[in-house]
Amino acid sequence: MIPIDMRHYRFILPVLLVLIAGCGQKQPASETASQDQLLSVAVVNYPLAFFAERIGQDLVDILFPVPGGTDPAYWVPDKQGVTAFQSADIILLNGAGYAEWLNTVSLPGSKTVNTSQSISSRLLMEAEGVTHSHGLEGEHEHGNLAFTTWLDPRLAIEQARSVYEAITREIPEREAIFADHFHALEQELMSMDAMIEELVSRDPGKTLIFSHPVYQYFTARYGIPALNLHWEPDQVWDGQMARELEQIRHGTDAAWMIWEDEPLPETVSRLRELGVESTVFSPCANTPDAGDYLEVMKQNIENLVPVYDPDLGTR
Amino acid sequence: MKDILYMVGQYIRHHRVKTIILVLSISLIIYLPSGLRVVVNESAESLISRAGSTPLILGAKGSPLELVLNSLYFDTDAPESFPYKEYLRLGESPEISAIPLHTRFRAGEFPIVGTSMDYFNYRNLTVASGENLVFLGDCVIGFRVAERLGLEPGDSLISTPSSVFNLAGAYPLMMNVQGILAPSGTPDDESVFVDLKTAWIMEGLAHGHEDLQQDGLNGSVLEREGDNIIANASVAEYNRVTESNMQSFHFHGDPGKFPITAALVFPGNQRAATLLEGRYLGEEEVVHLVDPVEVMEELLGTIIKIQNYMITGIVIIGLSTLATTVLVFMLSLRLRKKEIETMHKIGGARRRIRAILVSEILSVLLMGALISLILTTLTAHFGPAILKGILLGGGA
Repeated sequence: MIPIDMRHYRFILPVLLVLIAGCGQKQPASETASQDQLLSVAVVNYPLAFFAERIGQDLVDILFPVPGGTDPAYWVPDKQGVTAFQSADIILLNGAGYAEWLNTVSLPGSKTVNTSQSISSRLLMEAEGVTHSHGLEGEHEHGNLAFTTWLDPRLAIEQARSVYEAITREIPEREAIFADHFHALEQELMSMDAMIEELVSRDPGKTLIFSHPVYQYFTARYGIPALNLHWEPDQVWDGQMARELEQIRHGTDAAWMIWEDEPLPETVSRLRELGVESTVFSPCANTPDAGDYLEVMKQNIENLVPVYDPDLGTR
Repeated sequence: MKDILYMVGQYIRHHRVKTIILVLSISLIIYLPSGLRVVVNESAESLISRAGSTPLILGAKGSPLELVLNSLYFDTDAPESFPYKEYLRLGESPEISAIPLHTRFRAGEFPIVGTSMDYFNYRNLTVASGENLVFLGDCVIGFRVAERLGLEPGDSLISTPSSVFNLAGAYPLMMNVQGILAPSGTPDDESVFVDLKTAWIMEGLAHGHEDLQQDGLNGSVLEREGDNIIANASVAEYNRVTESNMQSFHFHGDPGKFPITAALVFPGNQRAATLLEGRYLGEEEVVHLVDPVEVMEELLGTIIKIQNYMITGIVIIGLSTLATTVLVFMLSLRLRKKEIETMHKIGGARRRIRAILVSEILSVLLMGALISLILTTLTAHFGPAILKGILLGGGA
């Protein structure tokens, strides 16, 4: 999607180094770990699955039953799915109202870990919500907190810390190993954060258009002025989209749209005609088709390079 | 010996009324103190054992006794509720675990306990038939509830409205019976368990209704302005959670402010317990932490004190009754002087006559003792339940 220029390498190289270093850390925690000793860890999204796997490695068995291509935030388990969650040793929740199905099931509180509990004071509100009034209750609104917390790497570190503490509580005798794994992951997330920060600092006031309102923590972390739409990548271009874009861009110089996933080619060319380039920054909420969380984030950073480097060509 | 017993039988048959009065007096003199002691001891053991398996209870500031009795037996009036965030605050310390309780609602005569699935593990409750809680609106019932209401997994059970006159209050919720617990011999047998979130639906803090963004509901929508939709009261709210409407159920407001009536608290060690107790000593705290054993011992101390006063009274009354009984026997012997002389004149040996008279007295005493023994045994069996019922203000 984005042409790679030699100048990208100054960003890609450190990312690759971090990834290589990360791969080096991933050594078996215990050669003697057998299937019956595995700690069963149920998670509600892929970032938490990745954190748990990186920290627990071969001592954990990850249960993440959301099918590929489904947004875990809106997935709803059946009875068997809920029962599987109930029987896990640890249930890792994202918190911040993520995965509304959690409000409709019974889970044992003692096994449940809200990984954003420690960052509750840093949670953001969604910009929009449906407000309605009926009966004697009066006006009320649905949908409050923004939930894609892990897109701020510093918050992701705190969530990973919660995962590390939860796993350690269950297998305290392996604390040192888990601590090593967590600190390695922390380093990788910190490096990623530093890279994005450096990239955004090249054009700090640049307004970006986001196809979906899920980047609140990302934009807040790096101070990116954001305009949010509610478009899907597979949405076929129509006149309404052009009007929405016109309306939202009015009075700004926004020239880049960030998508959750690859948009349709027609949408890309229509946007280009209107002076808006497209690129992808995947929230990586579900298991990626290829690579892992850090590799997807590396690709996201690469995709952002032309956005913040005015000399680079367009798509 | 046979002739003596024959004479005693004849005497008792002839003096039926007098004998019955004497036997009852003697049995009551023996039974009252022993029965009272048995009922108090058995009840104490039963009350302390449930309290003893509950380390600490967090509740709204108020009567510790009311909090403990409700949190252990669910059958008394619910104590004041407090915000759920106080329960979440307990979870901030990794050394402390807790189980929330919400006991404000009933299904007929049975309390509905809103809690977490951890409660079942903690009380070693197992599901004998059906399944454990899975979804919102599910309930798991104690075996006595199932027995009395004739319920099976798959049936439904409706919650009782908190007040029939409060038309603006929350509507009753039709719960789905998921499972029946195995008998435990505890108040859990007579309780209905739901997820805490289901109890909050009964509170009216969560509800499910038709999607107001649907075009077909225009008749119910008074005003639609951007994301703001104002509907009239004709919007149907669901009184039962089903597979098809489950996702429409949503909570209003901050769950941290939602009510619970108690939290069973399990400090990981003595240090954590001490720190926790210290935390709630401040005047500004809306909750307090109580030790159920301490509270129950205090209650039992009062009961034992009353028991001792009663026994003292009974002993005094017993002594006077005993004196009266002795007097009755002495007067009886005097009245029977001619009868005794006649027995002697027709050839009865003095030893034999004395044996008949002693046997008569002993048989009355033995019958009294036997009746008191039966009454004490019955009291040991049913008394604790009756006393618990009196203490809890309902059937135990």
